[in-house]
Amino acid sequence: MAQTYADKGFLFLFVYVREAHPGEHYGPHGTMEEKLARARTFRERLAIARPILVDDLQGTAHHLYGLLPNMAYVIARGGRILFRSDWTDPPTLELLLNYYLNTREQRRAGARLTPFYAEFAGYRVNDRQQFVERLKIAGPQAVDDYLRMAQVWAQQAPPEE
Amino acid sequence: MSENIPPAEEYNYRIFNGQGDFEGFPNMLRVGMGAPDFSATLLETGQEVRLSDYWRRGDLVVEFGSFT
Repeated sequence: MAQTYADKGFLFLFVYVREAHPGEHYGPHGTMEEKLARARTFRERLAIARPILVDDLQGTAHHLYGLLPNMAYVIARGGRILFRSDWTDPPTLELLLNYYLNTREQRRAGARLTPFYAEFAGYRVNDRQQFVERLKIAGPQAVDDYLRMAQVWAQQAPPEE
Repeated sequence: MSENIPPAEEYNYRIFNGQGDFEGFPNMLRVGMGAPDFSATLLETGQEVRLSDYWRRGDLVVEFGSFT
């Protein structure tokens, strides 16, 4: 996806932040050197081709952008925020990028477009089993902590639509 | 902003306990606003870069995440 849209002028970046689900094998970052080494492991294990920007040990960038574990932002050339989501969902991002490509084409064709503000509720596929499989890489503690929290969330969840 | 940043040991928690609550996507940022700039280490080169170095070049898609 990054390659497809990179060709259309979008630059994809990954900001590496704190470990969301630390475990016995991969714990929290204790030093910047550890964080950089872990980011390299991440890049190799998941074959990340995008440039990776490693946040500092205190999480300065992470705090600035909202502190959630897997956020996505689309930022226009010049620095204006066009879109943000509290989770990175590739199909949703693709929808947005196509929207902006279409906007760009309309402008090129001479249409006069006025910006307006919008919000929407996103829906993503959530494969919990697959997620837990990935957590096993971090260690049993990561799995236990997540499953404990999943029970708490289930009790708090509003009824399904 | 920076005065609100807790110490690194607190930020890099040892036990996941629901930190990063999804009800809590802070509203200090909104679509339409200027994105906050920050510096970070570019993993490929080890150099310090700024996010604005990239948004000067074009439209960005920025994902935040970690290994675990």
